[in-house]
Amino acid sequence: MADAPAKTARAEWGTRFGFLMAMIGAMVGAGNIWRFPYVMGDNGGGAFVLAFLVLLFLLAVPGLMAEVALGRYTNKGVIGAFRDVLGPGGMVGLGVIVLLVNIALMSYYSPLIGWTLYYAVHSLLFTFTASGFEAGAFMDTFFANSALMIGLHTIVMGSIAAILILGIRRGVERLVVYAVPALVIALIVMTVRGLTLPGASEGITFMFSVDWGALAASETWIAALGQALFSTGLGWGIALTVGSYLREYDDVPLGGGVFTALGESSIGILAALAIFPIVFAVGVEPDAGAGLAFVSLVQVFPEIPLGGLVAILFFVGFFLATFTSGLLITEVSVTTISEETRLDRTQTVLGVCGGIWLLGIPSAYSADILDFLDFVFGNWGLPLATLAIIGVIGWVLGPKRLRMLAVNRNAGIYVGKWWDPVIKYVIPAVMLFIMGYFAWENFREPEMIAGMLVIVLFPIIGYAIMSVVEGRGGKPGTTEVTGGDD
Amino acid sequence: MPLPAEVLGMLAFTLLAFWGISLWALTRTLRQESRKVEILKHQDRMDTYSPRALADLREWVETNPNDPLADRAREQYNECVDVLTQTDRHFYDWSDTEIEQLERL
Repeated sequence: MADAPAKTARAEWGTRFGFLMAMIGAMVGAGNIWRFPYVMGDNGGGAFVLAFLVLLFLLAVPGLMAEVALGRYTNKGVIGAFRDVLGPGGMVGLGVIVLLVNIALMSYYSPLIGWTLYYAVHSLLFTFTASGFEAGAFMDTFFANSALMIGLHTIVMGSIAAILILGIRRGVERLVVYAVPALVIALIVMTVRGLTLPGASEGITFMFSVDWGALAASETWIAALGQALFSTGLGWGIALTVGSYLREYDDVPLGGGVFTALGESSIGILAALAIFPIVFAVGVEPDAGAGLAFVSLVQVFPEIPLGGLVAILFFVGFFLATFTSGLLITEVSVTTISEETRLDRTQTVLGVCGGIWLLGIPSAYSADILDFLDFVFGNWGLPLATLAIIGVIGWVLGPKRLRMLAVNRNAGIYVGKWWDPVIKYVIPAVMLFIMGYFAWENFREPEMIAGMLVIVLFPIIGYAIMSVVEGRGGKPGTTEVTGGDD
Repeated sequence: MPLPAEVLGMLAFTLLAFWGISLWALTRTLRQESRKVEILKHQDRMDTYSPRALADLREWVETNPNDPLADRAREQYNECVDVLTQTDRHFYDWSDTEIEQLERL
């Protein structure tokens, strides 16, 4: 089915591979590349891997199954899906929370994509291997140039708009089916290069040596929990939106759950294997975040044979990882606003991307603002969105109903009753714990106060907006599902 | 520096646990997709539930007849039963005996 302009015709993924790559493209982002390797090595190596794996299967896999299934069951974006479950009214505002969090997330993620674009372009110009190049000074100059940052943010949002206007199949799918495999190939080539360098084994030892004592440390489990939840994008509305474009006979749990959670984590493992052997072979201190990608690694490239080419592989791959995530994060708002208003897809894309561009200017202007927003939304905004989605599934629609009607329908694997309590109790409890833990850790800090404002204000704003909108007549033909099922 | 056995073991386990399962899931789901496409070339409808999942669905409808979603569940159950009894190619492993024992709700 083509992406027809008529609102009655809903787009679908053209192929199963397209859906799977969209899920992976959405979930693999900066965190997999510049956070996962260091967090892994710094939290007990192999012990962290075990803790991470347990939490992936316990939380991320079932949670993603639920979110994709809700999208597939309702065939609607976030707000429409919430209305189908909750019935018309102010409570549909829970969907607005998810929307607001996505818009906020994208407002500071777009400038970050701009950073990766800038470094990708410079890798193609072989800047990093030129004589006299200084990584630290290069990054400082770049970060101090606000006009350039805003320009890059503009290019990123413009490119995302151009692709999203083309639609799900001709825009998003056509890009992700090439971008995700290209990222994997780039990391594999980089891994081979890194592992053949003298001294690479120290990097492997840093990541995969097993400190069994770390399994008894709460820090290991908190780090693994953060990685399992934030890296997989559980409950951000992305999986729901991507799932809403599934075709009639498509499976949910195998592709949307198991493959997505394990696949995106596998790219984190691959990034670790690609980056740390090189970093250790050259004797640079391992790091995380911008320091790893834009200083440590950049220092490494001139020191290794074919370093210029490895830099291209890394930064182009890094850009693809962040760009595809940005594309799908923006699609969450585009899908739901397009459904909820009289705007056509093109108008919606321009409106959403324009709004995000405007909101993203402060983060593009100052990396400190970006860091602040990242901390606030990472620790409280995103868990709030997850709580809204999983809470509605667990406590209103009911996990058993969803399992019967959507998860096990056309499924590639059978999902048993163990799944129900995980969705109803475990994931919501974990999200509440995370929000409480970070509030306690940052008690009275400005970030914590801002996070509490998000937790209080976003639901109020959502409720108020939907009370007004639904009060005007709302959307006809929706059915309220009362009570959980167990 | 040669890698200690423990590190090599953990590396192998990690690759197997993450890449092994991911590639298994990818291969399995793409093969299933091919099979579904093949079935849909032959007939215009296909069974939507495995025997176990359909039994769960029936049990749920029978124990929750007044649930707001019972009608939808019944419709999905009957649709699957109809397809199983009216078509000769099935996606899930249904035996003839199992299909003969199925009854609409």
